[in-house]
Amino acid sequence: MKTIAIKVTINKKQQQLVIKPNLTLLDLLREELGLTGTKCGCEIGECGACTVLLNGQAVNSCLVLAPQVDGQEIVTVEGLAVGNLLTPLQDSFLDHDAVHCGFCTPGMLMSAQGLLDHSLDPTESDVRTAISGNLCRCSGYQQIVDAIKDTKVSVNDTNKARIHTEKRT
Amino acid sequence: MASKLKIIGKSERRVDSWGKVTGRAKFADDYNVGHQLIGKVLRSKHPHAKIVRIDTSKARALPGIQAVLTAVDIPGSKVFGIVEKNQAILAEDRVRYLGDGVALIAATTKEIAEEALSLIDIEYELLPVVSDPEEALKPGSPIIHGNKNEFVHHKVRKGDIAKGFTEADFVLERKFKTQFIEHSYIEPEAVLAEPNEQDGVKITGSVQNLFSSRRSVAAALNLPLNKVQIVQATLGGSFGGKDEAMTSMCCRAALLALKTGKPVKMVNTREESMLESYKRHPYVLYYKWGAKKDGSITAMEARIIADGGAYASMSQFVTWRSVVQATGPYYCDNVKTDVYAAYTNNNYTGAMRGFGSPQVNFAIESMMDELAEKVGVSPLDIRLKNGFEKGAVTATGQKLNHVVSLKEVLTKAAEAIDFKKKWKSYRRSQVGEKKHGVGLACSYRGVSLGAEGADAAETIVSVQTDGSVIVSSGVTDMGQGAQTQMSQIVAEVLGTSMDRIQFLNTNTSRVADSGPTVASRGTIMGGSAAKNAAEQVRKTLLAVGSSMLNVKGSKLDLRNNYLVNLKNGRRLASFSELATECFNKGKPMIGLGWHKSLKTTWDEERGQGEAYFTFVYGANAAEVEVDTETGKVDVKDFASVHDVGKAINRAMVVGQMCGGVAMGLGYGLLEEFEFERGVPKQLNFDEYLIPTSMDVPRIKTIIVENEDATGPFGAKSVGEPTNEIAAPAIVNAIFNATGKRIYEIPANLERVLLGHKLVRHDKRGSEKKDAIDAMLIDSCKIRGEKQ
Amino acid sequence: MKPFDYFSPKTLNEACSLLRNSGEGARILAGGTDVLVELRKPSAHLPKSIIDISRIAALKGITESGDSIIIGALTTHDEVHRSELIAKYAPLLRSAVSMIGSPQIRNRGTIGGNIMNAAACADTVPPLMTLNARLKLNSSLGEREIALTDFFVKPYVTIAHPDEILSEIHFHKLSLALRSSFVKLGRRNALSIARLSVAVVLKVGGKGIIEEARIVPGAAFPIWQRVREAEVVLVGQKLSRDIFVEAGKKVSEIMISYTGRRWSTEYKEPVIAVLVRRALEQCIDKEKKA
Repeated sequence: MKTIAIKVTINKKQQQLVIKPNLTLLDLLREELGLTGTKCGCEIGECGACTVLLNGQAVNSCLVLAPQVDGQEIVTVEGLAVGNLLTPLQDSFLDHDAVHCGFCTPGMLMSAQGLLDHSLDPTESDVRTAISGNLCRCSGYQQIVDAIKDTKVSVNDTNKARIHTEKRT
Repeated sequence: MASKLKIIGKSERRVDSWGKVTGRAKFADDYNVGHQLIGKVLRSKHPHAKIVRIDTSKARALPGIQAVLTAVDIPGSKVFGIVEKNQAILAEDRVRYLGDGVALIAATTKEIAEEALSLIDIEYELLPVVSDPEEALKPGSPIIHGNKNEFVHHKVRKGDIAKGFTEADFVLERKFKTQFIEHSYIEPEAVLAEPNEQDGVKITGSVQNLFSSRRSVAAALNLPLNKVQIVQATLGGSFGGKDEAMTSMCCRAALLALKTGKPVKMVNTREESMLESYKRHPYVLYYKWGAKKDGSITAMEARIIADGGAYASMSQFVTWRSVVQATGPYYCDNVKTDVYAAYTNNNYTGAMRGFGSPQVNFAIESMMDELAEKVGVSPLDIRLKNGFEKGAVTATGQKLNHVVSLKEVLTKAAEAIDFKKKWKSYRRSQVGEKKHGVGLACSYRGVSLGAEGADAAETIVSVQTDGSVIVSSGVTDMGQGAQTQMSQIVAEVLGTSMDRIQFLNTNTSRVADSGPTVASRGTIMGGSAAKNAAEQVRKTLLAVGSSMLNVKGSKLDLRNNYLVNLKNGRRLASFSELATECFNKGKPMIGLGWHKSLKTTWDEERGQGEAYFTFVYGANAAEVEVDTETGKVDVKDFASVHDVGKAINRAMVVGQMCGGVAMGLGYGLLEEFEFERGVPKQLNFDEYLIPTSMDVPRIKTIIVENEDATGPFGAKSVGEPTNEIAAPAIVNAIFNATGKRIYEIPANLERVLLGHKLVRHDKRGSEKKDAIDAMLIDSCKIRGEKQ
Repeated sequence: MKPFDYFSPKTLNEACSLLRNSGEGARILAGGTDVLVELRKPSAHLPKSIIDISRIAALKGITESGDSIIIGALTTHDEVHRSELIAKYAPLLRSAVSMIGSPQIRNRGTIGGNIMNAAACADTVPPLMTLNARLKLNSSLGEREIALTDFFVKPYVTIAHPDEILSEIHFHKLSLALRSSFVKLGRRNALSIARLSVAVVLKVGGKGIIEEARIVPGAAFPIWQRVREAEVVLVGQKLSRDIFVEAGKKVSEIMISYTGRRWSTEYKEPVIAVLVRRALEQCIDKEKKA
């Protein structure tokens, strides 16, 4: 089995990697790059714990073969906050007590960010659809739905707003 | 102390949530160290068989293999168990279910470990399989342990059951069935075991019950307890599930680590997790009630058989809660209840959120609706008529001396969904194929372990010289928020802000054995211990402040990170100055809080006693839409009302309610872990279906607070009660919509449409692509269709 | 995951020659939502090489050509869902893809993969079959076209040769005179596999007389097919609930003639009839609303 060289942008950082092809994107992130924020729950695309943004779209990283991301852009949960400054979405999760055990949280955040990047004022139904591929066993989803729905780029909080805008562009 | 609470009752942010939204929280599988090996388990090929011969030579010869172990390599105790030590860490001569481990591998990579598993050659001699608990109790059934399969029989006897039935105007006799339930924590089990510098082992893992796991590891390795250190990683859900399933994993990883002298990581795939882990007990419940025409109940008789699966696990305790609560919060002078547990070749069954109550509540609350129907009153009225009030005497002879809020929670739940009006209107014939219905269910629940066992816990509060505070506890956080609650209690007592508190993950070497974090005892036990510890520290701090300022201690208070004048709140010194002073004066800045629960009593023979030191009350109300042509049920509205004593953190209580209802919705409508002759049919989330965000409706949560003297700040518990009555509320709503009663859950498409379950007969493991075409149509479930 | 060689051709020709040279040990990878599930299974027939066609730009996108709609095989379910052409000319396909799996699956999974995987519950097949879709298969020897109705042998087996790649799916636009619908029954409201589904196309004449009907159930028959026996029941009849019920019963009856009575028949027999009736009713309801 030949190794292959790929170029990939992960959390805004371009990286050149030499990898074995029989890795999933999830393996690549967790095992090769130490980005353990992305979680492994089922490995068959049924739980959503491994959700990341691939070119701005939520995908199950367990169902993407690592070489497939050559030339692509990936955002993981580690790429949301800038330093210690949380995004409005993360902040909203804390405010709404949307984090229980926290294992589904990274995937939930990425699905939600994928939605918010395309839709500024989603309805409850949009939000429920956007996270319908992310299983949560603790929360019954309600506080998560509320956290996403109530994520607002506060006018007063220009700093956060700016960061949020940067993320989206 | 300040009369007005500052932090208790507020929806403070969770102390551990920042790490969880940034990806920095470390769950067990996120721990890696250099040169770690990968550990894997070879599990049984058959649900019941003798092991004739194990040949590991080919696996040993594989490059990259560092250890291949079987039962003979275990230096100490080869079995573990909380009640009965009959569960093998590795099966030696016999396997009793498909999840039994037979051999262990440590290898440099996962791929090599997996290849090595396939090279281990085991010769089995098949034994007959028993997969049904009622069959298992019959003479001639294959015996799983000892000389009979019945391993638990609890009873409750009150009054004269024969007399009760004689007095009755009519008798209702029904059979109910519940299913195996997979905990479905989204984080699969994982541990990292590292040899210690001083010949012991340190295990970091997704462990719920650290102290019992530690006992088993120490026994298996012939080590004293102080040489085995178990540290809890951030736990990705447990719901009672990461107890024995983790004990076996801890023992195995520790064995491999000590054998190889290297760190060993073990992580279950989802399939391995579902295959090996224990489940919620399925029950067969035979209920017989005698009642008067006015709806009063003269006799309640129940015979209940629990499938214990292959090992004893917690069945003894789970079924004990069932026997205590089997007649619900209802008056009746004549009670006879028998609960049995039987061994089978299915997955063993143990602790799961609810702990023996969801099963009996499904039966009790269905019976109560049938009783209402029979006497022609509404489900609300029948419950209000028969429900407990203060001073009521339970089936076990316990007088309820606390505030009994059953009728309060029932009424509120009914009002929240407009139950009275809707129940009447939906009973009339409805047009269209989609029919609506409303249903109610309520329960009372004993708090904490009760007479199940010793019940005590430790929490340590330590103030640093800069005024920051470290808290640690033997009570663990599984995601329910125990750390946050305990932090709030400490902050309240010490008058500090929440950001001053740092909570440490539980480490068995640093706190006293506090028993298991089960039975919704986190708040009442850990919280009381935290309060106790913080009060010790507070006392010291006030004494130091008193001598520092030359003011009487009784005139001082701690508020908002300051030492203040109790009366006018004037700031006298900052909390950090006070802490420094305390250090300089050589005063102890640590509080060791210990809480032992109130006495409970139990007479096993008569089945009478003060089973629990207090109880909580809850009611659920559901509105469903039933598609009467397909059997599809959607929950449209839901109210969850619970008396929690006192909500330490309101948002977290709401979270427990919503999460409990969602899990109960899965129990009532979707989830079923099925076996065919001991072979599980569902091993991942494509087939084992838990509710998604599209299946759970918006839930109306109502917190009722009748403070209880037994808990910290009046708090009782909330985790489990929220999960134990959703299913019967839904099933009762289905009856209101359709006039058809579901006696077996889940109320899935087939049961709702046809009234019974469909059983698939095709064999798992046969190559799907080569099987007959017709069978393949149904195999979609297995393969999925996505691409 | 077992080792394999990985190729990522940029053109269809390149992919075809790679496939030809790799023989039967090669597996085509597109969206990966099924292939990756298979690759992690320890016992599966593991491929020696993976030919990742996901970079072949020519196989992506939806276009119209005169009276036809052409969907590149690599078009994702999400792209189908967002396409205005599909919304206008094949609304039932739009409705079908919106119910597949989850957003993550819809963002990756492709329509070509859904067809080639050939699971009996594939959500895109019944609508495409009612649209009389045709497939274009390419190999290093050339290309051929085949009607979707002739494509499947049995669940998970198609007539495609091992060296062929599905490149596009095309069908005639549904004219405004044709009404269509897709209904799916799953156990959950998301992440759900069809327990049963039905796609229907209906042409209704001036006096409410049904002039044409096409019915394709999903997860019901050993291979997908138009149920002509039930279509015949409808044609020439006036729109009515009774005739829809009758058509539903016919589908059910024909289904059993193929599958025999099996463990699941007790449920599927009445429910497929209901879904057929509902699909037909939905065609008409949409008309009313419009």
